[in-house]
Amino acid sequence: MTRIGRRLRGWTNGMLDLPQDLLHDMPRITLIGNKELYVENHRGVLHFSSELLKLALSKGSLEISGKGLEIRTILGQELAVEGIIGEIRYKESEESS
Amino acid sequence: MKEAPLSWLRGVVTLHVTGPQVELFINALTGLGIVIWDVKPVKSGLNLKLLLNDFYALRPLLKKTGCRIHITNRSGLPFITARLWRRKFFAAGLLFFGIALFLLSSMVWSVDVEGNERIAAEDVLDAARQEGVFPFQWIWRMEDPDKLSRELTVRLPGTSWIGVQRTGTAVKIQIVEAVQPEKKPLYSQRHLVSRTDAVVTEIYAEQGRPVVGRNTRVKKGDILISGALGDEESIQYVVAKGEVKGLVWHEYNINVPLKTDVNSYTGQRKDHSYLVLGKWAVQLWGYGKSPFEKSNTLTEKVPLSWRSIHMPIGWMTEKELEVEVKTVTLTPQEARDKGLEIAKNDILAHYGNDSVLKSQKILHEKRENGKVYMKVLFEVEERIAEELPIVYNRGE
Repeated sequence: MTRIGRRLRGWTNGMLDLPQDLLHDMPRITLIGNKELYVENHRGVLHFSSELLKLALSKGSLEISGKGLEIRTILGQELAVEGIIGEIRYKESEESS
Repeated sequence: MKEAPLSWLRGVVTLHVTGPQVELFINALTGLGIVIWDVKPVKSGLNLKLLLNDFYALRPLLKKTGCRIHITNRSGLPFITARLWRRKFFAAGLLFFGIALFLLSSMVWSVDVEGNERIAAEDVLDAARQEGVFPFQWIWRMEDPDKLSRELTVRLPGTSWIGVQRTGTAVKIQIVEAVQPEKKPLYSQRHLVSRTDAVVTEIYAEQGRPVVGRNTRVKKGDILISGALGDEESIQYVVAKGEVKGLVWHEYNINVPLKTDVNSYTGQRKDHSYLVLGKWAVQLWGYGKSPFEKSNTLTEKVPLSWRSIHMPIGWMTEKELEVEVKTVTLTPQEARDKGLEIAKNDILAHYGNDSVLKSQKILHEKRENGKVYMKVLFEVEERIAEELPIVYNRGE
């Protein structure tokens, strides 16, 4: 959480320049409490169940685990998740899936 | 980021997707730019919602990914219209009902007239009809109430104000009638002629031409005030009006008895009470012979009644009142005065209260069989005019 928070703050500080997600094709993740999660710029769903959601990113993948997860909307590369979110794990790997 | 805009209008399909790789299916969908929402994982797959338009693009994707879909719910306008189309007559009835309700409620159903006394309600309704206010008229074709009331006031003479008020489908026309002077009764053209032989003492013609003067002797049927004005060539008839008084002689034969019997009640009385049962009366009180020499009997019947229904049972009271006979004897002078008094009253009663008795003369007087016989000549000043209608072409 704190790491993401720091990253978010870093992004906001760098708002005067071009944002990193546009520059480096990185995902923008917005978390509201532990209820809602917005992911932009993902590369598709790898796995989806009510406990675990795996998303493909341009580099690596994002694992979201929690309870009663559901995807409220999917449109293109935007995705909104609802439910009780427990963990968000960011896996960086060179090989893309 | 929520569901697609106006999704209800465009139709929403809820799918149940099963297969080895449902995630692939979702990725394929997003790859095509299809919006899906409310994606819920269930035991054997996923539940998701998408627009009806996008549904037809699914088939090739299913083949590619090896998934199966099952439609669990359909909602939105396209499905409702399709369902209604299957029940055309029901839908038509629904529509027809709405239209009929609207049309019938935008129609004038009744026109009432209030406050008219002299003017007939039919006349008012007629005028209103010409102004376009009548039953089964469309309300939107009616003029403004202000304008209507103005037009109606013009159309109906004898009104000082007309109000038109519409509440729902009922139109109320309120009328205030103008106050008009009382109409004089119509007279036909006439002469005033003499009712009897007389000497004219006073003549006053309000309308018409007086023919006779004072102290003229007139006979019965003579014209006093003529209703014909002008000469022979240009004659015009009017209603003769006026007052003519004259001296008239009346001869009276009077007879007055000197002795008269007067009946009077003494105040003594005896009551008999009966119970009435149908045709029979059972005496309850007041037995015994009448103690009076002469008596009058008054009978009062009181039937037992409730509202307007009379029972055959009732009560009857007979009041027996004692009568005393008194003989009054008059002197000849008293008898004469009484006779003259009777005659004078008779004159006043016959020839008008404003008749004046000028003189009286006893022509003959005799006493016979206990009576006084008199022949009296009265000279009375009284109204002598009588109306005679003028009939046209009387001479031809």
